[in-house]
Amino acid sequence: MAVYHLSTPLKEEDMRKLDVGDVVYLSGTIFTARDMAHLKIQGLLDRGAPLPKDFNGSAVFHAGPVCLKNEDGSWRLNVIGPTTSIRMEPYADMVGRLGVKAVLGKGGMAEDTVEACQTYGYVYFQAAPGCAAKLAQGVERIVDVNWFEMGMPEAVWHLEAKEFGPLVVGMDTKGRSIYAGLRKAALEKIDALYPA
Amino acid sequence: MVNGMKGNEEIIRTNIHKAVIRAVTEISADVKGLLEEALARESNETAKSMLTSMLENLSIAKEGDKAVCQSPGYPTTWLTYGEGNFPGYVGEVVQEALAEATKKGYLRPSIVDPLTRHNPGNNTGKGVPNIEYKYVPGQDYVDFIISFKGCGAELGNAMKIFTTATLKLDKDFEGLKRFVLETAVNAGGKPCPPFGIGIGIGGQMDIAGKLSREAISTRKWNDTNPDPMLARLEEEMRDNINALGLGAAGTGGDTVCLAVKINTAATHTAIAPVCVNFHCWVARRAGVRIYDGGRVEQLL
Repeated sequence: MAVYHLSTPLKEEDMRKLDVGDVVYLSGTIFTARDMAHLKIQGLLDRGAPLPKDFNGSAVFHAGPVCLKNEDGSWRLNVIGPTTSIRMEPYADMVGRLGVKAVLGKGGMAEDTVEACQTYGYVYFQAAPGCAAKLAQGVERIVDVNWFEMGMPEAVWHLEAKEFGPLVVGMDTKGRSIYAGLRKAALEKIDALYPA
Repeated sequence: MVNGMKGNEEIIRTNIHKAVIRAVTEISADVKGLLEEALARESNETAKSMLTSMLENLSIAKEGDKAVCQSPGYPTTWLTYGEGNFPGYVGEVVQEALAEATKKGYLRPSIVDPLTRHNPGNNTGKGVPNIEYKYVPGQDYVDFIISFKGCGAELGNAMKIFTTATLKLDKDFEGLKRFVLETAVNAGGKPCPPFGIGIGIGGQMDIAGKLSREAISTRKWNDTNPDPMLARLEEEMRDNINALGLGAAGTGGDTVCLAVKINTAATHTAIAPVCVNFHCWVARRAGVRIYDGGRVEQLL
């Protein structure tokens, strides 16, 4: 289990070195995106319309922060932590096509993501769940926000991070998923305990 | 008595506002104790790191007077009352308290219309806050419990209408046990483990659902069920779920489940409805008892 400190723009060759279980601290650009943002990006891509951000080499965080507005109209972060990633599974391929190199969230994702991680060279990272006050310490500032009209959680927040983590590699570019392995072993134990 | 009741309105209002802030800036002491025990016996390095982050997070939130989790989840309130002390204004007060806490950054505005997804921005809406009222004859106090339950946990929930045969009554409820274990595996890391599980058994579908939420949101996670058979099932299921190896955060380890709590009600002879309801480790809740004379006790 190695420990890495990575900065954006993330390079595919660096992501391909990571193994499940490795620990990473991330600095640079992180965009939050959850259900509505993924849906909206998909719609814009389908129409060939421009996106508000360049996601190439970036990290996308499945998260909806608590932010407070300053007097001058800028925003400050209060707390931020991961949301359940499996909801974004339908967009696994799209995220790869955008050039996103790190997806951060909790609970893991499924087969389409395993495949997309191998195809596009991106990695899924598990953040500590429910640790919003601690994780906020790794965010230096909010650069800006897009699509706030979708509501605070669903907007795309552009964050500048410094040593954000610890993040554990949950799914790597080599077709491995911590979650899939644990699931298979657990189901076998159930069969042994209570035969169907 | 009349004066006492009028005086209580202010006491109840103040305590509801305080309960909302307390509920979201810390977790229930019983659950924190279970987390510390889980860390002490954990053998998996990743799980140790996750549990350490969770306990650190609680200290950072407390010191900084911040929400422990970015998601306020969904708020449900249980209110029990007796003769002549029904506080009919509680719904309005909870709504006020939620809106105020949202404005101050303790709660992210997260309640939306289920179809249009419109977010009014104040954590209230049609049917929210949900208040479960219960009249208890002879009760000379009002019990108020508010619980904010995260919704990644909801993504793991499952319900099944069992029968005598599918429960496997003749094999010590093996059908029920297998269903709960499979549901835990399917939930995996989604409910922010180490989770608690509320199991509602009985009534029809609606009642089993409410029983399950009440079990995990209003009981202390380290209590013992007064019914010896249910107590045995709770412990056995918790230990067997932990033995599956899913671990804190669902990334492997010794403890994925801190507690299983079962709540039952009578049902029809043809069925046994079962609802399995997950609760993240961030057990945000607060409960107070307000006596008619004005005395206040902390329940949770």
